[in-house]
Amino acid sequence: MTLLPWRRKVRESGPQTSSFEDLALPLLPALYNVAFWLARNAHDAEDLVQETFLKALRGFSSFEPGSNFKAWIFRILRNTYLTSRSGLASLRTVALEDELGEQDESGPTLHPEGAIDRQTPELNLIRLGDQAALHVAMEKLPPPLLEVILLCDVEEMKYKEIAAILEVPIGTVMSRIARARAFLRKELQTSTAATREIRI
Amino acid sequence: MTNHLSPIVLNALADGELSADQLAIAKEHLDGCSSCTSNALAQALLKTATAKSGQRYAVPRDFQERMKRLASQQPSQPETPALRSNRIPLPASRNAFAGWATAAIVLVLLGSWIFLEHHALRTNVASTENAALVTEVCDLHIATLAANQPPQVVSSDRHTVKPWFQGKLPFSFNLPDNLPDDTKLDGANLTYLHNRPVAQLLYSIGRHHVSVFIQERTSVSESSNLPTEHSGFQISTFSTQDLEGIAVSDVDPTRLSSLVGLIQRAQTDANSRPASTP
Repeated sequence: MTLLPWRRKVRESGPQTSSFEDLALPLLPALYNVAFWLARNAHDAEDLVQETFLKALRGFSSFEPGSNFKAWIFRILRNTYLTSRSGLASLRTVALEDELGEQDESGPTLHPEGAIDRQTPELNLIRLGDQAALHVAMEKLPPPLLEVILLCDVEEMKYKEIAAILEVPIGTVMSRIARARAFLRKELQTSTAATREIRI
Repeated sequence: MTNHLSPIVLNALADGELSADQLAIAKEHLDGCSSCTSNALAQALLKTATAKSGQRYAVPRDFQERMKRLASQQPSQPETPALRSNRIPLPASRNAFAGWATAAIVLVLLGSWIFLEHHALRTNVASTENAALVTEVCDLHIATLAANQPPQVVSSDRHTVKPWFQGKLPFSFNLPDNLPDDTKLDGANLTYLHNRPVAQLLYSIGRHHVSVFIQERTSVSESSNLPTEHSGFQISTFSTQDLEGIAVSDVDPTRLSSLVGLIQRAQTDANSRPASTP
């Protein structure tokens, strides 16, 4: 069962071509969007994407035709980001998150029940309509959680592809997604509560 | 029901990542657990909302052009300047003629290329924006149905619904007074489309629910070329001098168009009335 079948687009790649231009240019909007989210400003995002294109162009001969070009170039983008100024700052966070992630992979019982708010789901549903609040919540996500949410929800990548890009086990991807969504729901709830207090 | 589905399972369910066996187990649990069903729905809606919110930053046009030029370089031929320096020089007069001729050809080609690129870009941007608008409209309609909450203003009286928007919207609109027998106004919500405030009017046609989104018309009409169907929902639009409307429902397209026509006429009839008419 897929809860949102209308969102699940078929993403099979078309006929295989060997031109870098044909493969890379359609991904430019997606690369730029993710780069902007990670770098937090247009100038750094452009630098990041341009550097990614240059590296990909130089290494294109090593790309195996027929394999996943999108995952390949996103991996270059991510590695380029990690060696950038803003990326280096997030490295420590990655280490901490991985530490937490390994605990989470051991089983669902380690998740606090509060990670999913079972008391007020209606509140969350209402709040989900507020794109501005969600955008603010996404901006507060730590980089390791933000990148996994962008790849999973925005780019609609499979866990396997995300694991290949981030160079982490699938279990870590799953636990990061769970933590990222719990974080977003908590932020949206806090935001709702704050709005209610102001109204009262 | 004590052993609820874990967050990881709920997320994998929303992401379509459960295997057939896991899916069967999860589905069996969801059939008997309203708490997990509610959370599964919330996770799915969060995923949809995040996808929409995350698709935020568009590539600047000049940067896009730069990347196009960069991507069109052949990895095996990076030494273009060196190749150029090895050319044999032509005699001066012939060189000048060739230069002017080349410049003219380049100008013509460049002009044609810019025109075609601009046209293609505008077409692409328009179709992408239309697709995004329809998706957002359908998502809002579905979220309204799924939330199972009463509308923000609950009334079948147009004289209650319309004034409720005073001070909430930067525009005003009219509602039709004579609806067909099986059509009724259920209420309305204040919501947002592309970060602009819009009125979401909720109607019922028989047992079918209809959302009619009314927004202020901008210089670029967004709803003019929308598809008439999306994900099984019927889409019907109208526009007046100041307003745009988009209706979405699973009802028969003729009945949806009929309702949309009534709402459109309510705007134009009101404009043609004397100023003293309320």
